[in-house]
This record gives sequence, C-alpha cells and structure tokens, in this order.
Amino acid sequence: MDEVFKALADPTRRSLLDELFREDGQTLSALEQRIPMSRFGVMKHLRVLESAGLVVTRKSGREKLHFLNPVPIQLIHERWVSKYAAPWASSLTDLKHDLEEG
Amino acid sequence: VEKHFEIYIKTTPERLWDAITDEEQRRKYNFGVGARSDWTVGSRVEGIHSASPTPITEGENLEVDPPRRLVQSFHALWGEDVAAEGFSRVTWEIEPIGDSCRLRVIHDQLREGANEELYGGWMMILSGLKTYLETGEELTTPGSLMYAESGL
Repeated sequence: MDEVFKALADPTRRSLLDELFREDGQTLSALEQRIPMSRFGVMKHLRVLESAGLVVTRKSGREKLHFLNPVPIQLIHERWVSKYAAPWASSLTDLKHDLEEG
Repeated sequence: VEKHFEIYIKTTPERLWDAITDEEQRRKYNFGVGARSDWTVGSRVEGIHSASPTPITEGENLEVDPPRRLVQSFHALWGEDVAAEGFSRVTWEIEPIGDSCRLRVIHDQLREGANEELYGGWMMILSGLKTYLETGEELTTPGSLMYAESGL
C-alpha cells in the first residue's frame, strides 16, 4: 500500500493515470505525446506506476500496451471508506424493504 | 475496448480456481451471483441469483485450463440496456508468485463507449475474492450488500 500512495503522490503520474482512464491500452509512444516530458521520464514514471500495480501491461506485437488497474485503489477504499458506507447501504436496504412491504 | 483488473491473493492456484468456478463460493463475493457450469470447453455458463428466476448473465466456456486460465464469452442479462450490448469476452489468468497468486481478469471485445455497468464491478468482485480467500470473511461493499440482500 505504501507503493500505491507513493505512486499517487506525483502529479505527472496522476496525469498518466488520467490519460489511461480517458483511453485505456496506450503505448509508450502515445503517452509520450500527451505528457510534456522526455520518453525516458515517462518510462520512469510508468515503471513506478507498474510496480505499485496501478498500471498493468500486455504485449501486442513489438509494442507494450498500458492499462489502468483500479483494483489497488479499490483496496484502499475498502480499508477506510466502505466501512462507513456499509451500514448506510444496509439501512437503505431496510428502508427499501419497509417501503415495499408498507 | 479492453479492460484489465489485477490483484495479488495469498492462496494457491487450486483454491483460487475453485473459488472462481464453484457456484456457492462465487456467490459470496460476486454481488450474490453464482456461476453455474460444468466447466468444459463449449459448455454454457450462467450467472444465477436467488432473487431472479432467470440467469442474469450467460456465456460459453471458450478455454478451460485449470488452475491457470479460463476464457468465457459474456452476455449481461440484468437489464435491457446491458443486454443490448451483446457478447463480450472475459479471461481469467492465474499466475503463482511465491506464496501468492496474481490474478488478472481481462474484459475485452467491448464496444467503444460500452455501458460501464458491464465491467465496473470487477474491482469490487476481485477485492471481495481476496478478502474471502485470505480471511474467510465476506466483504460488505455497498454494491454487494444491496444486490445480495434486496435482490434485483
């Protein structure tokens, strides 16, 4: 989880995630066009995102495609946020039952 | 469009395969929907929810290679709008790494601008699967609670 927070602490890396959210499965060359930074810089940031699990890749011919993996952020959400949301959701469920039965 | 979802789970490939393909185990972390199939290539797979008289997903097993790889076609039936999207494809890849497994779910053959409901639940399903295998407990995300308890 430390790695996820470190990866997210940088604005360029967040921009890369935004870019993949907008269009998933991009190559390094495509991402480089979008971010005002050298190829090497973009590569370095992608590597940090990859080791945090926020970006996963797949080979396609000679190219490597990059995908946004939202699961690590979901795990952070489960740890803190959904604990608050669960009782709220179950009271909504109760309300729905009451309304349907009443 | 192709979407990737990856998670590390402290378990064996065999236990992970069972949790994915056993109807009752699957129900525990999959919005209350169990997967019913005989898990042979070419066989049908149905998503069964206790509150629905008919399956809420359907598909065909395209590749079945336990405990490493499962490829299925996928057709959502839980609403008219998602049903109109037609068939897409879901690939489960299990890779043992040390004392854990890396699980990647690839949902592809989705049309450009496909309804997000089709693939938007995977991260909740995978984190629920992790919790189930690592602690034996069921995760109560708002989505799973609402679907599991109040029906459709």
